Amino acid sequence: MTRHEEGPHHEVGLEEGADDVVVPQGRVVESEFASIAVRLDREGNSVRLRVEDLRTGRVRHLDALELESIVWLGEGHLTQLLDPSHERWRG
Amino acid sequence: MTAVVPSASEVEEGGSRYDRLIQPARVHGTLYTDPSIYAEELRKIWHRTWVFVGHESEVPQPNDYVRKQLADQDVVMTRDKDGEVHLLINRCAHRGLQVCDDQAGNSSSFRCPYHGWTYRNTGELLGYPYNKGYGGKNQLPLGMGKVARVDSYQGFVFGSLAEDGPSLDEHLGAAKGEIDRLVGLSPEGRVALDAGWLRHRTRANWKFLAENETDGYHPQFVHGSIFGVTGSPIGALYSDNSTAVTRNLGDGHSENDLRPEFREFAEPMRWFGTTPDRVPSYVQAMKDAFGEDEANRRMIEGAPHVMIFPNLFIAEIQVFNIQPVGVGECVQYSTAVQIDGGHELNQRMVSQSIGSVGPAGMLLADDTEMYERNQRGVAMADPEWLDVRRGLVRESVDADGFTIGAATDETGMRGFWNHYKSLMEAEDR
Ligand code: FES
Ligand SMILES: [Fe+2]
Repeated sequence: MTRHEEGPHHEVGLEEGADDVVVPQGRVVESEFASIAVRLDREGNSVRLRVEDLRTGRVRHLDALELESIVWLGEGHLTQLLDPSHERWRG
Repeated sequence: MTAVVPSASEVEEGGSRYDRLIQPARVHGTLYTDPSIYAEELRKIWHRTWVFVGHESEVPQPNDYVRKQLADQDVVMTRDKDGEVHLLINRCAHRGLQVCDDQAGNSSSFRCPYHGWTYRNTGELLGYPYNKGYGGKNQLPLGMGKVARVDSYQGFVFGSLAEDGPSLDEHLGAAKGEIDRLVGLSPEGRVALDAGWLRHRTRANWKFLAENETDGYHPQFVHGSIFGVTGSPIGALYSDNSTAVTRNLGDGHSENDLRPEFREFAEPMRWFGTTPDRVPSYVQAMKDAFGEDEANRRMIEGAPHVMIFPNLFIAEIQVFNIQPVGVGECVQYSTAVQIDGGHELNQRMVSQSIGSVGPAGMLLADDTEMYERNQRGVAMADPEWLDVRRGLVRESVDADGFTIGAATDETGMRGFWNHYKSLMEAEDR
């Protein structure tokens, strides 16, 4: 299979013999810090990006306008989102 | 013109205007042609009572939306991220632009293309560009318009543009039982209207359609060709020999109840023009869900044929959504019913529906020809009135207290006009 994306990623498949493995669908964007599966989802009335945090199984769908907003997010805002205490570990 | 029949201009005297135009055995032709009556209908019926808009299955996913019509209002039906369904008026709070243009999509927010004001799919304004011009963020108490009341029954979504009035439950009244009957044909207790809507522009007043939907007098004339081609046994049910009844369900709703005939034959799936061996998975699923006897009862009695005031017509295998465009024009949206757990039935529903109301379908085209000729006919000056007395000589009251007539009687129309009159006589607000 051809790889078009840059950066670390791999195809995901079911490991033989491991029937309790949860199989994420789509391509994986991964580093030593996080592991995220992405794919296009066509269940809705128009296409969305389905993003799954493989470490927790949490899933988020992002529509086109949300993705555009992320693309235009300033570095400062993005950095704020990366602060662990911003949302997930707010305490 | 004769001395005994008042003309439309004379009807103002004595009783209300509608006392004169709507009488027990006849209704006046101007009800279908007078632009001032149409304007009053918009205010007193379409902008006030509960109107069928769409079905929850059209927005299955969070953030799905579809554009719908509520009379003259362009409405966006959305499902928010928490699953709640909203009916927004498709109009920007800035300078009134139409916000959504696609017929359907998935988006958590809508951005107006004119100056970029952006709304959540609940209608709430979430931001605008260059906010210093408004003194900063979150300074404007504005949002997209909303249909004042939204409610649903068995997934059928209704809207009312009036802040108060009867609840949807009260409005539907006895018609709820007919929707239940449709949903009761699903082993899973759910139907979907997600096969896509056909849109038929019709040059006729909307009331001709509402009245015709439970008119059991016309099928043998108008629909002879489709009965002939398909060999359908339904045609015979609309005659003076039929045991089927026309029932005034109250609140403007009416039905053609064919169950007496189907019970006599006691053949499951006869109502659908098929036999159990041709739809075995569905029949089995029904039996698994309800037990042999109850499943058989449901499959013998079949789906309802009910007109729910003012614009939802459930015609056994398909649903019509009627929306007025002007005094002499309306749109009929139609779609095949899809049954959750329907197995073989669903594909057949689609093909039967296409055969009857599709672009080359034989049923709707025939009816529509009648509607449009009706509209042209009532524009003529004489005899002024439309007769709605058929069956008055043999009407009775059934065990549940509903007025019933024979299969071909105009009992449903009289119920429609009673309710219509009560709404039109109400005060303007
Ligand atoms: S009209 Fe919608 S943003 Fe100006
Ligand atoms: Fe018809």
